[in-house]
Amino acid sequence: MFSSELQFIFQLGILIVFTRMGGHWLRRWLHLPGVLGELIVGMIIGPYALGQFHWPLIGKLFPLGASGSPVSPELYAFSTFASILLLFLSGLETDLSTFLRYSLAGTVVGIGGVVFSFFLGAGCAVWSGLAPGWLDPRALFLGAIATATSVGITARILSERRKMDSPEGVTILAAAVFDDVLGIIVLAIVVGTVRVESDLGVSWSHILWIAFKAFGFWIGATTLGLLLARRFSRMLKHFKSAPAIAALALGFALLLAGLSEMAGLAMIIGAYIMGLSLSRTDLVQVIQREIEGLHNVLVPVFFATMGMMVNFGVMLPQFKIGLVYALLAIVSKVGGCGLPALFCGFNRHGAVRIGVGMLPRGEVALIVAGIGLTSGAIGQDVFGIAILMTVATTLLGPILLSGSFENPAPGLRHPEDIAQSQTKTLFLTFPSPDMADFMASRIVRAFRQEEFYVYRLTPEERTYHIRKDDIFFILEYDGRDIRLTAPARYETLARLMVAEEMLTLRSMLHVAQANSELNTMEHSLIAELFGGPQDFKP
Amino acid sequence: MNLKKPLTVETIRLDLKGETKDAILAEMVDLLVASGHIRDRDAVLKAIMEREKRMSTGMQNGIAIPHGKTDSVDCLVAALGIKRGGVDFGALDGQPSNIFVMTVSPDSRTGPHIQFLAEISRPLNDAAVRTKLLAATSPDEVLHLLIG
Repeated sequence: MFSSELQFIFQLGILIVFTRMGGHWLRRWLHLPGVLGELIVGMIIGPYALGQFHWPLIGKLFPLGASGSPVSPELYAFSTFASILLLFLSGLETDLSTFLRYSLAGTVVGIGGVVFSFFLGAGCAVWSGLAPGWLDPRALFLGAIATATSVGITARILSERRKMDSPEGVTILAAAVFDDVLGIIVLAIVVGTVRVESDLGVSWSHILWIAFKAFGFWIGATTLGLLLARRFSRMLKHFKSAPAIAALALGFALLLAGLSEMAGLAMIIGAYIMGLSLSRTDLVQVIQREIEGLHNVLVPVFFATMGMMVNFGVMLPQFKIGLVYALLAIVSKVGGCGLPALFCGFNRHGAVRIGVGMLPRGEVALIVAGIGLTSGAIGQDVFGIAILMTVATTLLGPILLSGSFENPAPGLRHPEDIAQSQTKTLFLTFPSPDMADFMASRIVRAFRQEEFYVYRLTPEERTYHIRKDDIFFILEYDGRDIRLTAPARYETLARLMVAEEMLTLRSMLHVAQANSELNTMEHSLIAELFGGPQDFKP
Repeated sequence: MNLKKPLTVETIRLDLKGETKDAILAEMVDLLVASGHIRDRDAVLKAIMEREKRMSTGMQNGIAIPHGKTDSVDCLVAALGIKRGGVDFGALDGQPSNIFVMTVSPDSRTGPHIQFLAEISRPLNDAAVRTKLLAATSPDEVLHLLIG
């Protein structure tokens, strides 16, 4: 029997090791998204599966808590911190300029998806008898869980199929930005409503008041954050050290998370607002780079913890309802996003592609479900249903999206729209993959120097999104090839950027060949490897 | 981006005097100096020349976009010059260059540099705009043609 501290350390170690390994193998063998692998690992090693068994020397790995809670308070606090970190980074990655300016199609598709998903999700709880009415917390949570799309999975498929710059691809990415923000607002309202309900009972006036308060807090904090962001970033810059700046920014995100909880909203909302506020400053890359390591270790633990909370015994009787909920979650995005797309110039093919592209739920759905479970608003049955839906949509999304692009028919209704949406792709083939890799990093650096917002889609993808205001480029590289896709209007900029970097490469090669100092340096490094003149004394 | 800020009537000259590439570059740097945007004229000229040494910025259809980065400027500065007869700028198409857009921005700070060049050059793709530019009688007319 261990002390609770020692048990926590063991649990954390096991979670970090197994989620990393499990996520890696599932991604490699089954091409499943990392988040799914981490979730499944959590289910397998959690208290409702292997974690309940006695193991030699260490006893039960993940025993149920005294109150029957599936995770210990320490582990829960740790995973709450991870979810705050995740949402802080999501906010930081949101390109607000694009969000504010984005195309009508993105707005309509995003809003359509959120509204349909919420009502079908909540409706599922009511129709199946899980919730007595639409305002029951279970109905509200199943609605909120169904709203947020996880665009990372879709982006990977679009990138693999070279469809990132297609009208469908651009619309999906635009809609996903709205989806994220709207999903967070829906969560804020749902959490606030559920809290009021538990204190005062159901009353429309209270619900309207809390919705107004949640929206007010959201708008107020975001506006204030954006207004103060530059001043705040100047204050952070006084510290002149990247680790100090990132730590302070994260500290403030935690403080705003706490304030948001005190205001009756979820903690992640404050963290997201803090990230969103800083997203327009030039500190984004500094903070991202410094926090990335922490994110890589902590966030898989969060997903695994969500998996550990799945109680198979309680979930299985609700399996049928889970399947219906998953089906409705699919229908609501395909219909909710696809139908509005039909009115935004897309034909049937385009609408289906957009609909299935918006299908996968992931991180935000899990966070919302976790908040619902731990706050007591939903039980383990509803939580299990939510996990089932997340797994189903995450598995089906990539398959359906790939399939929808099998037919090469254009997705737009009118050829003139196709011409308008045209992009230009610069294809470059270098003598070696190393050189292509080097040039890609130079191009990325050059765009950053021009204050473009550049981010790599996922660590595994060799695809970058490059954005500033309404300009959107996609940089992809593979082997010896680099492709830079630009809207036709910004082709000149793309060409000039790449040409300048090519010149730099050429002049570097020229200098390297002509410079004898480099030769001397190289020779002395190698000559002293084995038995040469030894300056180094142990 | 806002093109109006860097390019003003003070940094536009419609009758460049230089007859060689070097003379044109020096004259345009002087134009920037006269407008009070530059601390060290020679450092700016050196940055521009170094970029030209790597490859001429003379493009097609008489357009040249000499540019460079140096900390002798605090922010992006730009000038536009016209040499109606044109000079040999070592342009890509071998034709004389007659419309010059010069940009200099700080080396150690991030900010638009190529983006400015690209955006100010975009209208120059239109032959009608180039013709009107060459016939322009005042810097205001040039500004109106490029920025609106």
